[in-house]
Formats: sequence, structure tokens, C-alpha cells
Amino acid sequence: MAQLEIRNVTSGYGNGPDILKSVSLTAEAGKAYCIIGPNGAGKSTLLKTLAGLLAPREGEVLFDGQSIAGIRPDLVLRAGVCFVPQEQSLFPGMSVRENLVMGAFLESDRKKVVERIEETLTMFPLLAERSNQAAGTMSGGEQQLLALARALMIRPRLMMIDEPSLGLAPQAADQVFGVIASLKAMGITLLLVEQNVMRGLACSDFAFLLDLGTLRLEDSADRILDDPSIRELYLGRHVKAPPTAAVDSADS
Amino acid sequence: MIHLIQVVILGVLLGGVYALMASGLTLLYGVMQIVNLAHGVFILIGAYVAFSLFENLAIDPLLSVVVTAPMMFLFGVVIYRLLFVRIAGGERYTEMSVLLTFALALVLEGVLTFVFTGVFRSVTPLYATSAINLGQLFIPSAQLYASIMSVVLLVGLWSFLRFTRLGYGIRATMQNRTAAQIVGVDVTRVSTVAFGIGIGLAGASGSMIAFLFSFYPARHWQWIAILLALIVLGGLGSLKGAIVGAVALAVAAGLVGDTFGFTWSPMTFFGALFLILLIRPQGLFGKSRVA
Repeated sequence: MAQLEIRNVTSGYGNGPDILKSVSLTAEAGKAYCIIGPNGAGKSTLLKTLAGLLAPREGEVLFDGQSIAGIRPDLVLRAGVCFVPQEQSLFPGMSVRENLVMGAFLESDRKKVVERIEETLTMFPLLAERSNQAAGTMSGGEQQLLALARALMIRPRLMMIDEPSLGLAPQAADQVFGVIASLKAMGITLLLVEQNVMRGLACSDFAFLLDLGTLRLEDSADRILDDPSIRELYLGRHVKAPPTAAVDSADS
Repeated sequence: MIHLIQVVILGVLLGGVYALMASGLTLLYGVMQIVNLAHGVFILIGAYVAFSLFENLAIDPLLSVVVTAPMMFLFGVVIYRLLFVRIAGGERYTEMSVLLTFALALVLEGVLTFVFTGVFRSVTPLYATSAINLGQLFIPSAQLYASIMSVVLLVGLWSFLRFTRLGYGIRATMQNRTAAQIVGVDVTRVSTVAFGIGIGLAGASGSMIAFLFSFYPARHWQWIAILLALIVLGGLGSLKGAIVGAVALAVAAGLVGDTFGFTWSPMTFFGALFLILLIRPQGLFGKSRVA
């Protein structure tokens, strides 16, 4: 049985139009999924809806067979689904350590929290060096690592990560993708939205292609990477030019 | 020189009480972006409760904190649940909350006038008129006690925010509401408690105000004007800022009053407000907003 099952979910902001239009998809435990598609395709909206920050207008979301559609974010987290959003998601005035404490806010066993902080700091030596520094004063790459580390504090079974490498220098992005690979190795199911499609697909098993709020295609990440028409339409022209490129540029 | 020290001491003592009055106001803004124009009325309700307890049961106003604080906490929780939850997260939430708290201030002032009439009141325990002499300096007992009590309550608030799980939740919500939701903070619950605490602090400072100043139902407009100046100076939503702003402005107002005459001392608050908005609009400890 699929770990995550999304059925005909429609979602949007406030009184605005539907951004996500009747999307259905499933995810297996322990696999990594990359969600790709152009700007405005509804990728972030999908993640926010699953995280409980937006209530779906229609449709059903099942995690391990239990409905999590439209429930409060803290209850989604309790169910084992954790979200690392695209925008600054840290507590800038709190230290690295305090941010990690906040990551385990739902864990009432204080001893476990202390243990996990030590484990996390061992896994992220860079954060260990700065455990007393205010999160807001760190570089973008360090902040992203802290956001991922904080998400791990609650020991999620599924992690949704929105644009982890956005705005990062290449070296910092390498570190972030290194962490994502180890999350996968830990057996955590991953739902990844990534503007660097090549790298996103490279660390995923499967891909979903969203366009204008609907699911256009789902396939293994390898096959999508190899499909010339998809490369042309959705992965952008900076990707190694496929044979039809000449015709296309004549049009534009 | 002695005279100058005297003025500064009186300013610091009064500043401590202002800090307590402002702490709730800045907490409400920090957690919920509510600019609570009714904060002065909540303080006034605390003062009238202290007054009633003193007149009828001879309960010391300092002691009445154990009644005013929890009572106003509950009142705050009820008001938040009843009035604010339904506008939370809506469009123009901050503007709506300003209108709502303005209406609350008018309504509650009306109720106070109905119950207690417009007569000037004050609470007069024995220490209200006594003073401690330290050489050539004199320290009014009432201001000293009120200031000590304020510091005790502020340290209590700080410890609560710093060391308890709920305190972590409140601070997290103040710094980044969405992030707080993402790590599992139930922000509605946290907001309700924070609103209760903010109003509870207003009630507690009412107990102190009751024997420091004489009061009548419309008095709160003067206080809210001063309090808003204090928290803008400190940086909206910053507790540290509210405390520093309160003490600094109380001392400054004392010095201005001493130099130019006491009719000018209330002007200090608004002069400072004007200057801070010109020079550093985010306040001393406020976050500057990018875009």
C-alpha cells in the first residue's frame, strides 16, 4: 500500500482561483520523488496543502491510510509528515541549538530531545561549531542546513522539501544535496521541489510533472531525464539542447 | 548634582512601572500583530478592581495583583476567543484589530463610567504618602514598591518565555509564525494564551497604578498614548525594547519636567516618538522590514 495517497486535491489561496486542480498521486515509503514543472505550476501549493498550511478545497489526503487533509499543521507533523518550506523558515533570534529544540517541539520527552540534538550536531559538524550563534546571522547555506537538521529533530517518516538549493552558492548547494542523499539513505520518504531539475531528478527515484495545476506525467526520474520532449518543454533550454532546438528557436 | 540624581531615581522607578504596562502591549503585537488600543482600559479595569478590594475588603493594592492578574488573564482569553479568533488570518487583519480594540476601549470605558462614575479615584494605603530618606535623597515608598513588584513580574514573564515549553512556543510565534506552525506549534492556542498573559500583565499593572496615580474612566487615553510611544521607541514586539524604552523615556520626561516645568514632561514621549520615527523607524530593538 502506498504510504501517501493524494486523491483529486484542489487547492488555492484565500478567495483566489484554484491553483491546484484535482491532482492525484501516490508515494511509496522510502522512495524519493521530485516534483517538477514551470513557475506557477502549483508545486509549492501542493506541499503547503499537504503540510496543513492550506486546507484543500476538495479531495482527500491519506498518510498510512489515515486522513490528513485539512487538519492543523501540528497534527500533520504528529502523523509523521514534515515540511521544509522555501522561504526563511528559521527563528532568526534563536540560537542554532534553540532552533533544534523547536524542531522537537512536539516531543514531550526532554531526554530524547537532548539526545537528538547531540545526534544531529554530530551529523552536521558545521552546525555544532555554531550551536550558540543566532540563526539569523548565518549564511544562506548554513541556514538551509539548519532548516533540514531541525526538520529531522521530530524523526519524520516523510519530508517535503521546497527548493532547498534556491539562492545558494554551488558549494553550499552541494552540501544540501549531500544531506538530502543521507535523508534518503535513512529511509525517509522524500517529496522534493527543486528548481535545479537535473540535480533534483538525480537524487530522486520518481518524478511528477505538474503544469498549470494538473499532473501531466509521472515516471521514473531516469526516464524523464532521458526524454527529449520533456527536456525541451519543462527542463529549460540551458539543458543540453535536443535535436529539435533549431525549429523551436526559429519560432520564437 | 544631588537634585539630578533624585530626578533620575524617580524616573527609573516610574519607568519600571511603565515597563510592566508596556510589556503586555508589546507582547500582543509581537505574537499576533495586534495593536491593542484598549490596553489602557484593561490597566484601568485592574486599577478599579484594586480600588474595590481596598475600599471594601481593605486588601493591600500590591497584594491585589494575585486577583487582578489571573482575573484579567481569563478576561483576555475570553475576549480573544470571542472577538479575535474570527478575524485572525483574514485580510487587513492588523487594521481590523486596531478598529476592534478601539471599539473595545470605548465600550469598556462606558461600562467603567456606568459602574464607577466619572469621579477621580485613588487607593491610599499607608505607604502611599511615606518616603525613605537616603542622605539627601528621598525615595517615595509607593513608587519603590510598585517598581520592585514590576521587576518581579517582568522577571517572571522573562523566565516563563525563556524556560517553559509554552514560552518557547510564544517566542517562536513572535519570530516566525509560519515556521512555528511547521514545527508543530498550535498558533491559535499560543495566541490565546499570549493574549491572556498580555491582558493579565495589564491587570497587574493596574494594581500598581491604583496607588500611584488618581484615575477616572477616560484616563486610559493618556496612558495608551504614552505606552504606544514607549513601544515604538523600543521596537514594536520587542520586550527588551519596551523595557529600555520605558525607563529611558520616564527618565527623560522627568528631566524635561524638571528643567522646563512639568506641563512639558508628557511632551517628551511624543517628541521622542517623532524623533525615533524620523531617525530609526524600526525602533531600538525592532526588526527592520525588507519590502
